[in-house]
Amino acid sequence: MLSSKEYERLFPSLNRKINGHNLIYLDNAATTLRPKEVMDAVNDYSLNHHANVHRSTHTLAAEATQMYESSREKVAKFINADNNEIIFTKGTTESINLLAYSIATSKILRPDEEILITTMEHHANFVPWQQVGKIFGLNVRYYNCKNGIFNLSEFLDYVSEKTKVVSITGLSNTTGQVIPVQDLVEAIRNIRKEVIIIIDGAQTVPHMPFDVKKIDIDFLAFSGHKMLGPTGIGVLYGKKEYLEEINPFLFGGEMIDKVSTENTTFNILPYKFEAGTPNVDGAVGLAKAIEILENIGMDNIQEHEKELTNYAIERLKRLDFLTLYGTLDESQQSIVSFNLKNIHPHDVAHMLNDLTGIAIRSGHHCAQPLMSELGVKATCRASFYIYNEEKDIDILYDGLKKIWEWLK
Amino acid sequence: MVKIGLEDLYTDIILDYAKNDRYKKEIPDALESEGKNLSCGDEITIYLKVEDNIIKEASFKGHGCIISQASAAMMCEYIEGKTVKQAERIFSEVIKMSQGKEYDEELIDGMDIFSDISKFPMRTKCFTLSWHTLEDALKKEKGS
Repeated sequence: MLSSKEYERLFPSLNRKINGHNLIYLDNAATTLRPKEVMDAVNDYSLNHHANVHRSTHTLAAEATQMYESSREKVAKFINADNNEIIFTKGTTESINLLAYSIATSKILRPDEEILITTMEHHANFVPWQQVGKIFGLNVRYYNCKNGIFNLSEFLDYVSEKTKVVSITGLSNTTGQVIPVQDLVEAIRNIRKEVIIIIDGAQTVPHMPFDVKKIDIDFLAFSGHKMLGPTGIGVLYGKKEYLEEINPFLFGGEMIDKVSTENTTFNILPYKFEAGTPNVDGAVGLAKAIEILENIGMDNIQEHEKELTNYAIERLKRLDFLTLYGTLDESQQSIVSFNLKNIHPHDVAHMLNDLTGIAIRSGHHCAQPLMSELGVKATCRASFYIYNEEKDIDILYDGLKKIWEWLK
Repeated sequence: MVKIGLEDLYTDIILDYAKNDRYKKEIPDALESEGKNLSCGDEITIYLKVEDNIIKEASFKGHGCIISQASAAMMCEYIEGKTVKQAERIFSEVIKMSQGKEYDEELIDGMDIFSDISKFPMRTKCFTLSWHTLEDALKKEKGS
């Protein structure tokens, strides 16, 4: 890991003062801070190389195409995929919507087969399946995470010969519980080989090494802005055979092969799924972000976050006016969710901001089914990333004590 | 310029209103209106008992932060005994105040404990939730 000084140089926001306090950014599950180098890369592309990709025969177009495709290569290597298995989207939400619609319109499911999701999903991996289920008459089953905690053996009771699609988060955006994806995939395939397994990697890919081939998943969705990249760029990884089988979701320019009034045939992968002029700026920024993460090392990032999360759990446990949610053990990483007795999370978040310069999230975290399971309407959520350190948690601890004294 | 701090928002009066349960109840056979802040998950129901165009009783139920609860309690206290038309005018002036615009201080005398809310843009919607729900209730009353 880098030193505080190096992070301050890399992330200009870390030098900001909030109400006279140094900014402590603990809202990384929502979006991470932006490194200057990422924005420099985007600016360089925008100012010097910008042109439309894959279309024109001039220098700028060739440079833009080369930059866009080398970004794809960077992403592919990062998760150990092939280049044509990487589709650039707007983000996790669009990736999962694309998949849900494409699977539904491709009529992959027999009438008795099922899509299985859980109540710990954030809305991006819940609502698209629920809605395509309603629109296309597909069966959607929900595994209920009791008390908001995923239990592998309970979950496997839901997997049967009827299960065709499983779409599940790799790490809860509310409780920070890490799902044992490798065990999950092996167990599902033991029950039924032909299940399509989709991992919502919005909170996973930024925080730990992820190898799609080793884990042997079929699809993976994630966002650039939760891993130091720009907003508006995301990724859908898919196994080539599935990407070839399912229908495209968006129709238009670039994704076509031959068009006539009678019919249209589609482009090869991955362009079949990238209709219209893509977000080249975003792709270039994401590639630079990945470079920064790789230089730090994904193993180091995971280890750092685990230590920080354990430290946060141990410290916050000492506050008897506070309820912590989740497993509160080693299976939790990068996120700590809590509430102060009888105090609404908005009040806590606002006061932490003004009294200590700490930025956390308060609300339902776009995971209302999980909130119901936790028996709350909202929680406070502190989420960590590479630039956070133990002293940030010490300041959080002191800030929460102050707020309690004021409002209890 | 005077710096506005947390203590200007979380005043003792506002904290007292937030804890005050006097208006936190259902009124049977009353006019009901529901409001939500979708991004926060906050919900509120306003109950109005209107007779001869006068708000005889007002109350609310729901959950939310200190600002939203205090705002709802104060609103109920303030509009009881007012005519529907007066309540509409009060609503309009309160919204102006929440947006930092000029407003009729006399008409919403006492509401100035919330006059700094416009300096906290993140919290304005907490304050206005009950008021927008009231606006909806008043529309229902006029339509009935």
